[in-house]
Amino acid sequence: MMSPRADTIAAIATPPGHGAVAIVRVSGARTRSIALRIFHAKRALRPRLATFGAVFDAQGNTIDRGLALFMPAPHSYTGEDVLELHVHGSPIIASETLRATLAAGARLAQPGEFTRRAFLNGKLDLSQAEAVADVIAAESLSAARGAEARLAGGLQSEVERLRAALSQVVEELTGALDFPDEVPDPDAADLRRRFAAVLAALRSLHGTWESGRIVREGVGVAIVGPPNAGKSSLLNALLGEERALVSMLPGTTRDTIEETIAIDGVHVRLVDTAGIRSAGEELEAAGIARTERALAHATLALVVVDGSAPLGAEAGELLARTRARPRLVFFNKADLGTAGFRARAAGEADAISGSVRRPHDLVRLREAIAAIGWGRAVPDLARPHLASARQADAVLQAICALAAAELTLDQGQPVDLVAPDVMAALGALGQITGAAVTEALLDGIFARFCIGK
Amino acid sequence: MAVGAEFTSDDAAVIVVGGGHAGAEAALASARMGVETMLLTGDVTTICTMPCNPSIGGSAKGQLVREIDALGGEMGRTIDRSSMHVRMLNESKGPGVRALRAQADKAQYAALISQAVHAQCNLQIVQGLVADLIIAGGEVRGVRTQDGANYFARRVVLATGTFLGAKIFRGEHSEDAGRFGEKPALELAHTLRRLGFPTGRLKTGTPPRIDKTSVDFTRMQRQDPSAVPLLFSYRSEAVFAGPQVACYLTGTNAQTHALVKENLHRSPLYGLDLIRGIGPRYCPSIEDKVIKFAHNPTHQIFIEPEGWDAPTLYVGGFSTSLPGEVQVRMLRTLPGLEDCVMLRAGYAVEYDFVPPTELTHALETRRVRGLFHCGQLNGTSGYEEAAAQGIVAGINAARAAQGQEPVFFARSESYIGTMIDDLVSKGVDEPYRMLTSRAEHRLVLRHDNADVRLSPLGYALGMLSEAAYQDFVSRKDALADGVRLAQSTRLPRITLGPASIAAGTTIAGALRRPELQFSDIAAFLPRRFEPDIGERIGIETKFAGYIRRQRSAIERAGREEHINIPEAFDFAGIRALSIEAREKLAKHRPRSLGAAARIAGVTPADVSILSVMLHARTALARV
Repeated sequence: MMSPRADTIAAIATPPGHGAVAIVRVSGARTRSIALRIFHAKRALRPRLATFGAVFDAQGNTIDRGLALFMPAPHSYTGEDVLELHVHGSPIIASETLRATLAAGARLAQPGEFTRRAFLNGKLDLSQAEAVADVIAAESLSAARGAEARLAGGLQSEVERLRAALSQVVEELTGALDFPDEVPDPDAADLRRRFAAVLAALRSLHGTWESGRIVREGVGVAIVGPPNAGKSSLLNALLGEERALVSMLPGTTRDTIEETIAIDGVHVRLVDTAGIRSAGEELEAAGIARTERALAHATLALVVVDGSAPLGAEAGELLARTRARPRLVFFNKADLGTAGFRARAAGEADAISGSVRRPHDLVRLREAIAAIGWGRAVPDLARPHLASARQADAVLQAICALAAAELTLDQGQPVDLVAPDVMAALGALGQITGAAVTEALLDGIFARFCIGK
Repeated sequence: MAVGAEFTSDDAAVIVVGGGHAGAEAALASARMGVETMLLTGDVTTICTMPCNPSIGGSAKGQLVREIDALGGEMGRTIDRSSMHVRMLNESKGPGVRALRAQADKAQYAALISQAVHAQCNLQIVQGLVADLIIAGGEVRGVRTQDGANYFARRVVLATGTFLGAKIFRGEHSEDAGRFGEKPALELAHTLRRLGFPTGRLKTGTPPRIDKTSVDFTRMQRQDPSAVPLLFSYRSEAVFAGPQVACYLTGTNAQTHALVKENLHRSPLYGLDLIRGIGPRYCPSIEDKVIKFAHNPTHQIFIEPEGWDAPTLYVGGFSTSLPGEVQVRMLRTLPGLEDCVMLRAGYAVEYDFVPPTELTHALETRRVRGLFHCGQLNGTSGYEEAAAQGIVAGINAARAAQGQEPVFFARSESYIGTMIDDLVSKGVDEPYRMLTSRAEHRLVLRHDNADVRLSPLGYALGMLSEAAYQDFVSRKDALADGVRLAQSTRLPRITLGPASIAAGTTIAGALRRPELQFSDIAAFLPRRFEPDIGERIGIETKFAGYIRRQRSAIERAGREEHINIPEAFDFAGIRALSIEAREKLAKHRPRSLGAAARIAGVTPADVSILSVMLHARTALARV
């Protein structure tokens, strides 16, 4: 149950959603080396003193700038080496920062694990331990009934449906083993068919994991374009319609601005590189770096160019650079002319021509953003999908176990050898719904078969 | 040998109360371990009768018998010497679920056990109905019989079966009786309640018996026994106990069902509503079958002999408590039984049980030190389940008498351990029957390897003779040699039926093909093996991958198994646990985190909380 201390854990310590500050906490023996890898500052970290610097991802890109607090063992919350990274409070930045700690050698903490470690290291007394127990209870409750379940669009009932199908298989298998005189032997071909159906459903469920992440974290849209193409007006126009839903946030870095709007119920995070007025004296390299950073954080690039006149060199270069990634090209200023739009290259065939001043053009743009953000297929949020890494992991375990069961059947092995893998799949799916296996199984057998001598 | 209360020295070190399957194994185990033992039973002439079905073994139950035998118990040897019909079940369904089932000559079975019990040294058999327990300072000190005799001992094993507060029902008629025509133990039930033991009420039943000369077997489907002797005991000789006989299959029809429905108002279970005990779902009465599975046009009925010379046939699947005259009419609707004569009517019996959650894994009660419970008293059903608990209770009572630590049986090592863990950590809400589906580790808890799992223990405890142990050691060595040779012996290019084997393939490699059996290629091994060892070599090599995976799963689960929960741990005081988990834990009092995790209604989050609190308590205790 208890993890060895060498095991270093990390998690976002602040509540999910947008706040002023997000804290990513790391604890364990590898904390120092993780700090050295992902946090760069002018001076070395000093115990219990806030240090300003930059957080980097595994590729060496800056994620954000913020504060780092290092608390060496044993004078920390957990009693182990602890690092706290205080970054800007956006879900994307927080999760990117977390991802960086994981890439640098930490693993994702389980619910309540920091506190559990604190407790094991003698940092908490009994009443505090009771509070921890409450926290674990609350977290598991919220995972089962709260946000995850709501986000998941009927995930519980879909998983229950698949579990019921598998449970029936095990009932028939073990029923035939326990009551060979009364329960007919299962038919291998029939079992194969039923495994295939459940496997297909599980695989499609696992495929929703990416879109599930988009639901949770929002679609990042980077608005890029040459100066004066109308990026700021576009941003303001999009925001204008959604004013009530907008929350003004500090920029992800000092030279971009991040705004969130809701399109079709989906959070779209607009990252505007026009946060700082581009001045002539600005170095070209700095401009490119800024654009790259914004693009790196975004699912979708919204390239805004001036379509009223022939394209400039900067616009051409930007269009070429973003061609390989999900993007949407908006030829702005159609109310002034469409010379640039008409002369567009073959690669911009599906570009949109319009004007930020015309409401119906904005509607088209919003629809296009949503469609491309979802990979051109807007997922039906009412349908079941996975909303957490834990769920995705459980489904993957179930897929592997069932695939093994299928293999056992295909090899013509005795039926009982199939049962342990099906039980394992049931157990894995039970992690999502919180159900136990054995007793329910017997209930099923006795309800379905008339048994007894 | 009545002993007065003034008598100071003990009559025995261990007293076993009850001479059924649990009591007999308990008494034999204790005596064989060298401990002075007394078996107290209401009727010394009815030791180990088989009051219900005439068979021993079956799916999962067969494994229990093998385990009892591997430990040095009596059940396996006895059925091998009284078996009239034996079959291997689930032969093709997997090595973990193969099991033997035998039909016994009931009289011979009881006579053989009785002989063993009477011949056992360190064991005296005394007739008497126990009415009271002698308790001093929270410890058991002996028993008092109905006729006022006191017997003193510091360990008492209760194996009272269905006799505790027992009541028999048939139609409108009911009487206080433990078995048909035998007195119940009413006072003892009161004693246990007075001591603070909770009791529950369970129900079971038995079908009518018919005259075997009144039946037309040609109208039924014949089930033939195995043509070769199949043995439960590692210590039995491979010979038939006597002529092997067939069993027969018939079935109910619309007429039978109509009779059940017409007379339901006379059923103590339905119309009369006299029985409140819970019956086993796996052994429903014919009334239950007709009502609950109304859509089934027919229910199978098994016609089984009860002995070579016994006049009776057992009507399996026809358990009923309807009035006798209705039973006869019902029986006569069955094909082949049109003219049958009913010799004894079926009945339902309702009895008290003490929730096994009162017990430790050693089967000692938590409430009274030195008192052990086993068998149907614990809410189980079946001769095999009873005998398996009996041997464990006997072992641990004797261990305690010897001043030794108890022996615990792990889930991962035996069906016995699986059953005991289920019983003491989950309790029962219907008569508990051993089922393969309860044994998550069944691929390593096989019929064939019970000796490897348990014989070293049986020998160490003194229950298995030196000769039997040496036999085991040579079997084990041959097995290891065979497995090694199978891995190292390479085959030439051969074609066996549909399977074509490339030259250089090892025997183990070839055996991984499901269509190949060990006997097909045994000739290529440099030495010969006995058929039973050959079969075991085949299983160990053929399913090696699956067995390895199960073992690693056991190891993973083992970590939680080893986190112990103190006896007096306050589950109810942990408010972070869900109310359901708190209630379940307080009720079942699991001894380890692993046992806690297996309780229905206890979630993984509850287990986390529990682990935190366990550390909290132990940390505080150290301060």
